[in-house]
Amino acid sequence: MTAETSLDQKKLAVNRREFLNIAWLASLGFFTISLTGVSYLFALPRFREGEFGGVINVGKVSELPETGSSPVNYPEVKLWVSNTEGGVMALYKVCTHLGCLYNWREQEGKFVCPCHGSQFQADGEYIKGPAPRSLDRFVVQAVDPSTQQVIAESTDGSPLPVPDNPDAEIRVDTGKRIQGIPHG
Amino acid sequence: MLKTLNFQDMRKKILGMVDHRVRIITAGMGLDELRAAMRGDPPTEKPNPRFKVHTTSFIFHIRPRYYEAGSTILTHTFRLGFFTAFFFFVELFTGLILMVYYTPSPEKAYESILLLMNNVPFGKLLRDLHRIGAEGMVIFTFLHMMRTYFTGSYKKERSFTWLTGLVLLGLTMLLSFSGYLLPWDQLAYWAVTVGTSMVEAAPVFGEQANLILRGAPDIGANGLLRFYLLHVVATPLAAIWVISIHYYKVSREHGISLPASIEEGDVSAEKKRVAKQRIDFIPDLLSHEVFLTCLGLFLLVLAVTLGGYSAPLESVANPQVTPMDTEAPWYFWWLQGMLKLGDKTIMGIIIPTILVAVLVALPYIDRNPYRRLVKRPVAVAVGILAMLTLVMLSYMGLPQWGIEANPATRIVQDMMPEEGQGPVREIPYDQLQAGAYEVGVTPGTRMCPNLDFGCPELEGVFAEYSRRVAEAEQIGVITDIQALMVIEDWQQDLKKITLRMVYTDSEDGERKTYERHIFRHRERVME
Repeated sequence: MTAETSLDQKKLAVNRREFLNIAWLASLGFFTISLTGVSYLFALPRFREGEFGGVINVGKVSELPETGSSPVNYPEVKLWVSNTEGGVMALYKVCTHLGCLYNWREQEGKFVCPCHGSQFQADGEYIKGPAPRSLDRFVVQAVDPSTQQVIAESTDGSPLPVPDNPDAEIRVDTGKRIQGIPHG
Repeated sequence: MLKTLNFQDMRKKILGMVDHRVRIITAGMGLDELRAAMRGDPPTEKPNPRFKVHTTSFIFHIRPRYYEAGSTILTHTFRLGFFTAFFFFVELFTGLILMVYYTPSPEKAYESILLLMNNVPFGKLLRDLHRIGAEGMVIFTFLHMMRTYFTGSYKKERSFTWLTGLVLLGLTMLLSFSGYLLPWDQLAYWAVTVGTSMVEAAPVFGEQANLILRGAPDIGANGLLRFYLLHVVATPLAAIWVISIHYYKVSREHGISLPASIEEGDVSAEKKRVAKQRIDFIPDLLSHEVFLTCLGLFLLVLAVTLGGYSAPLESVANPQVTPMDTEAPWYFWWLQGMLKLGDKTIMGIIIPTILVAVLVALPYIDRNPYRRLVKRPVAVAVGILAMLTLVMLSYMGLPQWGIEANPATRIVQDMMPEEGQGPVREIPYDQLQAGAYEVGVTPGTRMCPNLDFGCPELEGVFAEYSRRVAEAEQIGVITDIQALMVIEDWQQDLKKITLRMVYTDSEDGERKTYERHIFRHRERVME
């Protein structure tokens, strides 16, 4: 009687063969997953500070373009710094439509994309064209030059009001891109 | 002593030795058999030595011993699969040779293409062949798929072959697209930027995938290297692997389908018997394939020499400036067209994914057992509709469609594009007579009385310019157009050509100017 039940229990439990099968299948699965993870990490490109993708110093507050004047191009890091009524903005230089580089049209006072004709205001707001949303922005910080502490920061892509300290450094974190607001 | 010198014997012995060697080389066919095969005579020995080749030789081992007569009818297959494979091998060989002169770095890539085109004997020919072969492979893969669809050949036991074929369609497009970037000119750089931007639209993994593909937030040295490796190692390896599976299924498992009309039509038993008759691979099909290969190579070489096809090359890639009218390669126009219709994520990723899923599941969705067109009206209608949609979407993907451009910019761009050729660049250098020509003021005929033979091409281009300006004036977005074409002697053997348009913008009533200039050198032939 007792012998039979223990045998039944043995049948219900995982026997040695099954256990080994499961064990090696599981390890194979684990190996595949880790291989995928390792390949992913290996293939992911590296950035250095100051390169595109890192934090970039765009100059002191006193060096900023005048409020309402034409945006300034930073070609090597793919951004436009625009000093609007509301404050400083760092616009990603790439059109939200299909990745072309738009240009500032001095005469018309707006950004126009050469590929498909999307147009944007100086603050990145969508005017017309096939682009699905307004221009993308980056996180902008104002940093105290002596203490290296962040005085003011705009993390949601809204304009950063210009700090009073003319020596404060304006930094753009190109690793943190905020998508423009889609238009209706 | 003399008796042993029997010439008859010696001849036999030598012939025997030669025969033995030939048998080893041909993997089974002796001298007599080879001769018989060449002449189209029946096999000379039993068992058939032509079948032996298929078991002993590696190359022929993967080919079938015979096809059924019905499946070799030209109008059934149009040899589309054969030519797809043919193009793949053309790409493989020309690509391997081109690698000799190519360096995948932003500093060297463009230079090596210039060297290849201007300084390497047959370099331009090989590059053009490689390019036309790529286009051909995409076209033929697609046509092959269409044929399979309309003859209902994806059904039943061929459903897995259909799936591998779909994978190959994707790999073909990836092969072609990854090669696009390598010349590192403006066309390459921006077409790939636009193409990879579509990848970025994918939810969740899009941004990561784009980063991994480009090797940086935007394409640079890393991106070029990655695309190069993708183009010359990863995708070809994958393609060879999947082609092997695809072909093995066809050659060893189910063969090429018979025409549906024979398989399930009301044809006599005699006709069915004839259709099922075997045509041996050696010699009939082999010689046919050799003929097709020669024909294909001949036509390709003809196209790139006398046909005037040449692989485009624009100015060196400039990541700071996007040229006007940047577009994806033509086989992605349908996707570009869809992207114009709506949201990037829905149109660029979700709908194409559904499309692929439908194609993969096609043999399981379409449970209709019949293959004849008349017995599958829904499938045929869907197929034709899909093709029309594809053509329409591709048309909508063109940069000229649905995009509001300033008419002045449009006209100047069409006459004298930022990149590429255009009518103005095609005027022969000697006809570029210095002067300022104004539309509506300068008479359009006898523009160059000082030149011995006049300047018909210049007059032609000027007439085209005038026509476009008149057209724009009629439409009325811009009015009071003063359009100028100015040709100046800039330096010796160098001319500056300016197109200038001064107009009133009807939107705000302001007077505006648009102008663009190019330089033409007497000796410049490349482009």
